[in-house]
Amino acid sequence: MGQILGYTALLLRAYTRDRTALFFGFLFPLLFMALFGVLNFGGSVRVDLAVVDEAKNDQSASFIATLQKIETLRITTAGERDAEVVKLTAGDRDLVLVIPSDFRIAPARPGATVPTLTLYENSAQAETGAVGRAILSAVVNELSFAVTQTAPVVSVKREEVTGRSLKYVDFLTPGILGMTIMQLGISSVAFAFVAERQRGVIRRIMATPIPRRNYIAAHVLQRLILAVVQVLILLAVAVFAFKVTVVGGLGSLLLVAILGAVVFLCLGFAVTGLLATENQAAVATQIVTLPQLFLSGVFFSRDAVPAFLKPVADYLPLTFLNDALRDIATTGATLVDVGGDIIGLVVWAVVSFILAYRLFRLD
Amino acid sequence: MDGVTFDVAEREIFALLGPNGAGKTTTVEILEGLREADSGTARVAGVDVRKDPSGVKERIGVQLQQSAFPENFVAREIVDLFALFYRKRVDSMAILRSVGLEDKADQKQEKLSGGQRQRLSIAVALVNEPQVLFLDEPTTGLDPQARRNLWELVRAIRARGTTVFLTTHYLDEAEALCDRVAIMDGGRIVALDSPPALIQALLGRGFSKPIVQQQANLDDVFLDLTGHALREE
Repeated sequence: MGQILGYTALLLRAYTRDRTALFFGFLFPLLFMALFGVLNFGGSVRVDLAVVDEAKNDQSASFIATLQKIETLRITTAGERDAEVVKLTAGDRDLVLVIPSDFRIAPARPGATVPTLTLYENSAQAETGAVGRAILSAVVNELSFAVTQTAPVVSVKREEVTGRSLKYVDFLTPGILGMTIMQLGISSVAFAFVAERQRGVIRRIMATPIPRRNYIAAHVLQRLILAVVQVLILLAVAVFAFKVTVVGGLGSLLLVAILGAVVFLCLGFAVTGLLATENQAAVATQIVTLPQLFLSGVFFSRDAVPAFLKPVADYLPLTFLNDALRDIATTGATLVDVGGDIIGLVVWAVVSFILAYRLFRLD
Repeated sequence: MDGVTFDVAEREIFALLGPNGAGKTTTVEILEGLREADSGTARVAGVDVRKDPSGVKERIGVQLQQSAFPENFVAREIVDLFALFYRKRVDSMAILRSVGLEDKADQKQEKLSGGQRQRLSIAVALVNEPQVLFLDEPTTGLDPQARRNLWELVRAIRARGTTVFLTTHYLDEAEALCDRVAIMDGGRIVALDSPPALIQALLGRGFSKPIVQQQANLDDVFLDLTGHALREE
């Protein structure tokens, strides 16, 4: 154990001199945050909601008043349905809500029809549309509960969190954490081991009595420590420099991050087993990481993923990692709340460990 | 390889010579416990290599051909790192001093010159105070000054009681440095003796070449003009 820890310490010290690794491990993700945090996205997500009130009664007025209290919504009420839909198409509105003429807030009698709110969305604005839709359904649910006096089945706390103005950078930060952990696991393992194998470093080390498992253990431990340090530093910069709000617990974030790091390290070792040269490593790491970068909700909500890719996107390891990190960071979810994602990560960890065990080779 | 049999005495400097593909590196790797022989036995420092490869690794120091050290480590850390691999505590500065690298202790190893890196490589091979030191083509790519410097280092290591086993393509090096040499070709040992004895044997077989008496050779000219001092690259 002393050998593993001593080796890990020396590896960490060498890492601090590796400019390329430091750039990709710390500066690169921070640049992303800065870029997206400062550009336009800097402000809160604002949803331009046009409400077309065809009922024009007390109840529709009080419904609109409720909506107007929500900070995230910027509400216009003047227009007609057709004119507003045209504006929606032109991108001047994010959503158009039509309140039907039979609108009323009252318990529905069995068999009677319930007034139907119509919501027009612009599919080109999926992001803001999704936020607005979430808020509206929360309000409608709340109204229903109030009227029917049934106990809410949705937690009020999470509605407040959704209602809180979620800045883009709040949304982005957990995605950047996930991306960084993926890069640490896959790229750092693939490039380091392929290069050391090619240059004869591993061969030289294997001419000493150090057991192979100790050698690999030190490299794994070093990267797990790096994952924790990266998460802490990126979060600190996000919170203090970019005013990111992190709702959930730091401990939960770290645990999920470490689990994610284990998954991606195992995947990295598995991929490395198939590679002989650094050029191959460059291609292979892109093949593994690029699809996840776009399909797993790093920069944008996964709502934007085309339907035919969803069955794949939903089960990618980075999807589980990002969803868990994001739920914890933006809504204050607990480890139990993100249990599904954690199970997904554990399954990936087991599968990729078996792959790594089968495929990885030192020489 | 076929029927390669030889003994190396304690405190001897022994060289394995031969053209590329003769089986030198294969032989060395078998002795170092890096490669398994299909048949036969090899004992190094009293340990059977096949039965206890890690026991052999504990007792030998190696410098491999075409090997490298991990990047972003300074010279001193490389020594510490390998000491750790042997679970030994060492005075890394003293070891660097013994190969004349104490002023490079805090320099990244990849920034060292070829000769300096060879000396670091030998320093690392000495961290476990080995009984036998294996050097695979230690002077390939070095300038004449650095080569002679390395010979001195090898002699000093032997003087401390270590057996040195090396391979080389430079026959003048073998002649100047070694007590005995083995010449391999096509996976067999074709001759094994001290350099003077091998030369005598050749002459005894009736070999002769035109005698050119020179008081000096080009090597002497070069060193006379450029000196013995080591150069920074």
